[in-house]
Amino acid sequence: MRQFFPVEDLARDERFVQTNMAERMKDGRTAIDVEKTSSAKSRGATKRLTPERHDASDAARGLMHGIMVGEIQALEGAGRTAHDFAAGDGTNDTVPFELKLDMARQAWDEARHVEISAKLSDWMGTELGEFAENTVLFEAACSNDPILRLAGVNRALEGLAIDVFTQMKEFGDVAGDPFLEFCEDWMLADEVTHVKMGSDWLRKVTANDPERRTKALEFQQVVDKLFSFGGARGESADSSFSLAKRFRELAGFTDDEVTHVKMGSDWLRKVTANDPERRTKALEFQQVVDKLFSFGGARGESADSSFSLAKRFRELAGFTDDEVETISQMDAEALEERKEAVRKYRERVGADA
Amino acid sequence: MGNGAVDAHESTARAPFAPWDRRDIPGSFSVDETARRVGNYKWTEMKLFEALGGWVATVPELDVKMRLGTHCYHHAWHADLWHKRLPELREMKPERLTVPANEAMERFIAAMTEPEAPELTIEKLVGVYRVLIPRFIAAYTYHRNNTSEITDAPTIRSINFILQDEFDDWRDGEMLLQSMITTPDHVRRAAEHQERLEAIMVEAGGITGPDSIGTAETTSTEGGA
Repeated sequence: MRQFFPVEDLARDERFVQTNMAERMKDGRTAIDVEKTSSAKSRGATKRLTPERHDASDAARGLMHGIMVGEIQALEGAGRTAHDFAAGDGTNDTVPFELKLDMARQAWDEARHVEISAKLSDWMGTELGEFAENTVLFEAACSNDPILRLAGVNRALEGLAIDVFTQMKEFGDVAGDPFLEFCEDWMLADEVTHVKMGSDWLRKVTANDPERRTKALEFQQVVDKLFSFGGARGESADSSFSLAKRFRELAGFTDDEVTHVKMGSDWLRKVTANDPERRTKALEFQQVVDKLFSFGGARGESADSSFSLAKRFRELAGFTDDEVETISQMDAEALEERKEAVRKYRERVGADA
Repeated sequence: MGNGAVDAHESTARAPFAPWDRRDIPGSFSVDETARRVGNYKWTEMKLFEALGGWVATVPELDVKMRLGTHCYHHAWHADLWHKRLPELREMKPERLTVPANEAMERFIAAMTEPEAPELTIEKLVGVYRVLIPRFIAAYTYHRNNTSEITDAPTIRSINFILQDEFDDWRDGEMLLQSMITTPDHVRRAAEHQERLEAIMVEAGGITGPDSIGTAETTSTEGGA
């Protein structure tokens, strides 16, 4: 078995259709109202997933399917990190034994989440593979540097999962679906544990590294901003994610972390102690992943942000220059097509309604 | 209390072992020998959880994918139990004893983890559930039944927890295999791969080497090694 496993080799049965972020978002059956994403002020009111939305059923089913494939990739990513790096002191491509154990534990948790999501999808009337799967989550777990994986996946993406589960739990409550609410509540508990796990490791990593701590905090601010589903998770009372903030506090994202430059992380510090270039690269990768996971940049401040982020992501992830350029062009074209498709979809659904 | 006088002279002296408690001191393993075996267990459990974690992304079958992820943690937990046991056995640097029993055991793990392609799920499962885990069950059972029930009680306690996992996981894996082996070609593939791995395992002698489950020739009728 190879030490590192490329995203294009992810094993799936014939029901699954894999695609990139831009293609995935072309699907009109999405919880994200992309027409509104260019207007930050209106996001909170338009994106909240409620039973009253004319597209609530498709949106909820699509979101649940997205959760399921995301859990599959999270399972695969955690498993690979448990496998790919030998136990050691954190140098020379090793990771601490305890970090490997944490990854194995996370693999078990994600496996349960796949089971739960599959049952929920069935409960909601969704077939496996009914929605396309974008594999960008696993891409973030493909780095051959364990520190990049830790920064890009464990803390940032698990934080996103908290937000999504909170939204689905709330949807289950409002929609009168106790089964959905029950399941999301349990998965939410696990995700809080995962994020706390990431927080604890990052504290150790930056314990004696103020520069890295500063960058980590900067990263966290970016995550908070961009993982907000286009701003839906703001500070206002209308926010869909007011609970998510509390969950994050429980998961270890304290005010001190946001305002001070003193936090720890023995592992990251050890690994990058003599390699500042690697450390800087890891931080940049983490920021790029965070931003990219704002649904391809659809929630960014500018229309172009998704492409620049995706481009940089692929550069750091080891894509060739030609691949980076080609994919960027495809993404740009795909976004335009997607916008048009969603407009037409909205018009059609609105007319039908 | 409250229903009559207590006899102040009633004896509370009892034997240190209740009549039904037949645990005894003698055991087959010294502290050093126990540490050596525990180190072999930890190394092999680590290799197993790493392999299971790595294989998750390589198998297309969704149910197998989830089982591998679940079992990955089980074996990581076992490795952690042994990692924590080693310092209690006077090995303050657990890494020193976290080694394979011998070169053949190392070769076995390399051969077991070799299959990667998505169409080789049967081979992956055969290596783990028809060769390695049965060997784990054997070695753990031998250790549990031959170590001192009193002096080495912590090892026995861990083994009992671990054996429960091993049996459950073996059953999971065997049932997955039975559900996937549906043609003569599947049977051939499974048998050939098992034969290849089993041969290496025989060279190794088991998880802790040639004495993994004692030897019939030297084992007394009393059950000692």
